[in-house]
Amino acid sequence: MGKVLMKGNEAIGEAAIRAGCLNYFAYPITPQSEVAEYLSRRLPEVGGVFLQGESEVAVSYMIFGAAACGERVFTTSSSPGISLMSEGISYIAAAQCPAVFVNIMRGGPGLGGILPSQADYFQATKGGGHGDYRLLVMAPAGVQEAVEMVMRAFPLAEEYRNPVIILGDGLIGQMMEPVEFPDHLSSKPSNKDEWATNGMATRKSGRPNIVRTLILDPNTLNEHNLHLKEKYERMKRDEVRYEPYNLEADYRGLIVSYGTMSRVCRSAIDALKEQGVEVGMVRPQTLFPFPEKAIEEAASKESCEVVVSIEMSMGQMVEDVERSVRGRRPVEWYGTCGGDVPTPEEIMEAMKSFMSSESPHLVHSSTG
Amino acid sequence: MRAALDGIVAVVGNYGSGKTEVSVNLAMRGRSQGLKVSIADLDVVNPYFRTREARGVLSGLGIEVIVPPEKYLQADLPILNPAIAGMIRRPRQLTLLDVGGDGVGARVLGALADSLSSTPVHVLQVVNPFRPHTETVEGCLSVRDGIEKASRMLISGIIGNAHLIDETTVNDIYRGYDFVQALSEISGLPLEYIAVADELLGRLDKEYFSCPLLPVRRQLVPPWKRACPI
Repeated sequence: MGKVLMKGNEAIGEAAIRAGCLNYFAYPITPQSEVAEYLSRRLPEVGGVFLQGESEVAVSYMIFGAAACGERVFTTSSSPGISLMSEGISYIAAAQCPAVFVNIMRGGPGLGGILPSQADYFQATKGGGHGDYRLLVMAPAGVQEAVEMVMRAFPLAEEYRNPVIILGDGLIGQMMEPVEFPDHLSSKPSNKDEWATNGMATRKSGRPNIVRTLILDPNTLNEHNLHLKEKYERMKRDEVRYEPYNLEADYRGLIVSYGTMSRVCRSAIDALKEQGVEVGMVRPQTLFPFPEKAIEEAASKESCEVVVSIEMSMGQMVEDVERSVRGRRPVEWYGTCGGDVPTPEEIMEAMKSFMSSESPHLVHSSTG
Repeated sequence: MRAALDGIVAVVGNYGSGKTEVSVNLAMRGRSQGLKVSIADLDVVNPYFRTREARGVLSGLGIEVIVPPEKYLQADLPILNPAIAGMIRRPRQLTLLDVGGDGVGARVLGALADSLSSTPVHVLQVVNPFRPHTETVEGCLSVRDGIEKASRMLISGIIGNAHLIDETTVNDIYRGYDFVQALSEISGLPLEYIAVADELLGRLDKEYFSCPLLPVRRQLVPPWKRACPI
């Protein structure tokens, strides 16, 4: 049978295998434990390894170890687990090792709840761990897109020698959709022999590769950070992805929304159109790099009165939206962060309120 | 046409086979046939898309819904409402147990074995051949084995539930039916129902099927979709 019906979590696991990743280390946490459940069954069938670490901290260093040896490796977790992994992620970025992380976000802060959330936007795009590093952050809006992003994440991590993170909310992990897997993964030959600690057999120079993050000399550390910065600038130039929606219309409001939240916004935009109210949307598929130019251009359309960042967090992405709009239009935020995803009707009402020039922009969601 | 499904019915199957949607729709169908119906959410595996999500619709139809206490509704804890044992001892005309996926989820039935031992129970395995692990007859039999061992009960029938949500075609339904028909022959388990999305029913040749069709009005939907009106 061609298409299969899969939970996002299962499809993410299968996509990693199809991308040639046979190393998966993880620690269970709702709402992403099905990835481990699925791969504990599936990886032995294809000669891969699933190992449950004793904690997420341990897992992040297992990932570091495998990545430093030049192995394709990935892990999945949910918000509190990614917090624990953040130290290791900083080390992996510093050591310039490729690895893929998946965060199926749940409500926070702290233990929070197990329902969907997008409150780890800052954590993924602005740091989480310490130091001047960036992750390439991709945000799928459905199960098929999650598959495609996971499969693209491995070659991208290798190309940039930098961790890539897939940021999905709990719904991405838990919902089922029909998916199909691409036959072939387009991937350049790995250059790991130039940097990985994979034995002396492949060393032309006769000197061993050393993977490390301790750089005590201030000039060398500065040079190292400048080199990392150059990679992040290259990502900003080459890796921005976004999806426009209804931007051909003369919209009065522009939504910026990502992940499953953007699908609710789509339903709202369609329903508003039937009422004769036009709203457009830019859906970032990469959160770092952020589609700044696309948002600035869309916001600059003459008909556009207001730009609204709609997110399942208390206003995180809105800061990047403001930065992108560069003061050309007012920027507002709408969202919830309790686990209840806003309905299309709530989005419609909020947009109407933001677009009516008489009322001040005071509409915010009640708690979710 | 055989008589309406009644008595105690435990709905089992592999993870994501559609047990909850089938249970909810069996409950609604039983109610529409005039039966007194109760349904219990025994899913201790899934964190989202559980029977408790449809409790408003079901209660509105006069169906008794037994879910964990309100304050634990959004927890991923293996909580069983003590009312379930009472519900089994004093069943309604149709009493549905929506069990969690795979052997892991079916272990709950093992915990209720004492209550269940004194009364006949239909244990129906939901099969969607478009799901991983049940795309082969061997896979379905392996799932059956795991559930029977964990639940300490024997599966008594099959519900075919071939679908790809919104992308399901009429041909998928026929192919899914052929698959569970073969499974029925090999396993010796009767085919009780073929579940079909309500909107596809009118396009099917009813003569093709040897068992009743269960119309499914989807209730467990993501937030950007609407549940089918009842």
